[in-house]
Amino acid sequence: MLNSDLIVGCVCAVLTGLVYFLTRDLSRLGGVFVNYVLVALGFLSLLLLIKGLVRPERIKFFESAVERNNVLVGLIILALYLIVMPKAGFLPASYVFYGVFNLYLAEEKLKTRNILQSLGLSAVVVTVFYFIFHHLLEVPLPPGSWFES
Amino acid sequence: MLEAAWSGFVQVFYPGNFLSLFFGVFMGIVFGALPGLTATMGLALLIPFTFTMTPAAGLIMLGGIYVGAMYGDAIPAVLINTPGTPAAIATTFDGFPLAQKGMAQHGLVAAAVASAYGSLVANIVLATAAPPLAEASLKFGPPEYFWLGIFGLTIIATLSSGTMLKGFLAGGVGLLLSTVGMAPIGGDVRLTLGFPELQAGLELIVALIGFFCLPEILSSVIGQRRAAYASQPVKPTLSVIGEVIVSLLKKPGLMLRSSAIGTIIGFAPGAGGNIASMVSYNEACRWDKHPEEFGKGTIKGVAASEAANSSMAPGSLIPLLTLGIPGSPPAAVILGALMLHGMRPGHELFTTHAPITFAFIMSMLVAAFLVTIIGCFGSFVFARIINIPARFLAPAILFMTVLGSYSIRNNMLDVWIMFFFGVIGYVSHKLKFHPAPIVLGLILGPFVEEGLVQSILTGRAAGGVLGYMVFRPISLILIGLSLMSALWPLYASWRAGRRPPERCAEEGSDA
Repeated sequence: MLNSDLIVGCVCAVLTGLVYFLTRDLSRLGGVFVNYVLVALGFLSLLLLIKGLVRPERIKFFESAVERNNVLVGLIILALYLIVMPKAGFLPASYVFYGVFNLYLAEEKLKTRNILQSLGLSAVVVTVFYFIFHHLLEVPLPPGSWFES
Repeated sequence: MLEAAWSGFVQVFYPGNFLSLFFGVFMGIVFGALPGLTATMGLALLIPFTFTMTPAAGLIMLGGIYVGAMYGDAIPAVLINTPGTPAAIATTFDGFPLAQKGMAQHGLVAAAVASAYGSLVANIVLATAAPPLAEASLKFGPPEYFWLGIFGLTIIATLSSGTMLKGFLAGGVGLLLSTVGMAPIGGDVRLTLGFPELQAGLELIVALIGFFCLPEILSSVIGQRRAAYASQPVKPTLSVIGEVIVSLLKKPGLMLRSSAIGTIIGFAPGAGGNIASMVSYNEACRWDKHPEEFGKGTIKGVAASEAANSSMAPGSLIPLLTLGIPGSPPAAVILGALMLHGMRPGHELFTTHAPITFAFIMSMLVAAFLVTIIGCFGSFVFARIINIPARFLAPAILFMTVLGSYSIRNNMLDVWIMFFFGVIGYVSHKLKFHPAPIVLGLILGPFVEEGLVQSILTGRAAGGVLGYMVFRPISLILIGLSLMSALWPLYASWRAGRRPPERCAEEGSDA
């Protein structure tokens, strides 16, 4: 069980210190609001830290190891998609992401039918939105640095 | 004037004009419903289509887009906890819990009816009392904006009665995040960490997607492997439409108050639908006999938010049409359209161009009815979206969050910020440090800062900052309202006989 008050209080106190360090050279007009907010944030962080020591609120972060692993793998897949997209291009990266994520969330074992279903859906959903955003709304989606030359 | 209004009303029903209006409303709903696309964007993108139209048809279409978008943003807010535009942030607080209970159709119909009601009230005000109200809007100076922002921040007290300390701390973090970018006065570049893209600040919609949408998917669909996005499947029925309409009509106080709040905040230039919906939600919760129902899925919460943000739209046109001051970003785009058609805001609009101006005003009135029809019957289709198995829906939503975040400013940094905020939102949700006040701080920060710094500058020149900021009629009213709002949870607790304070919305949280 984690002491949520202590964790939040510490993080906010560190954030306050960090922002103070990064904004100490601001002009009077540019810094006046930041300074007021920092004072309030510092004070509230201190209060929460005291509460965390006196009457802490305890929470269980993950219900199970499975939940933790699921979330971590999901985040890794999403992060990989974001890393690959500017290089491979929006369309190829999105096709792969949608298909892989769909298969990852499927409860059944990997079968040819599942894979084909995922690939088919991926092709339809991604292509439709690509068409709307890129061709109708003219949003310049990443073409992919690998293919630019 | 009555004759001009009637002539405008008749013009809306000319076949070509009505078709433009229908197209506008439909496109507005689409733009509002897709996270990352906003009413402003929709208006800006479709303005070129109006070049070849008559001024009346063009403006009628733009009116339809604006009204449609104000409803459309409620669809993803109710279904997937992601406001389509920042104005629907408060809609998520009760809309998503409703969807979780298998009552998505209730939420969608309530949003459509309340949007139409709000739009109707504000349009009547716009058509009948625009000039005097526009003059009142000029009484809003920097101190009033500052106090309006502070009043908005006091909503945190209502939102997080149980954990008020964490709520205010989260609000502080949001205010700090709002300072990223160039200072509005002084021009200092702050907290950009070397990224030039951040000089324009953090994009609000990116933060909303990150804090609201991603944590929900991470928690329920990915973490707990729920088979469906909602706990219970939705079964749309025709009777729900009647039930919701009757239920809302039985609450004239709620509907009128929310619409009035939206209209008033709309005609104060600069204050947008997001502030209107939050203030209205807060007031609905405070004045309701059962505040404990808010945040757990009640159509009253959805109606309060949607009536306010939809009435904000015509409200923001009051200073635009009379003084040429746009009350919101979409109103600024409409100003451009007016100029393109050779119409200058002011007296001329209500005399020389009266038939076109009133056709435009009346088109928004008719659009409100179209929204009700499309919203009520569209709810049969929209509500079923969350019955799609999570394994198909979640990747599509994640894909759209990425696409939406990217397309606002066409850069990957925004997508990474969305991802980062999503992780923060997930962790903070687990730590019972709910992200709604962070977003509230982010929304109100620039507003409060600008009001504060301008007040300090003007106040010093006037001989005293405190006197300048406090002793003004509207400031005093707003200070009073802020105090009432901040102290309300304590009063509610006392009234309930020392029971724990009734929580209004657990920040849309456990939704």
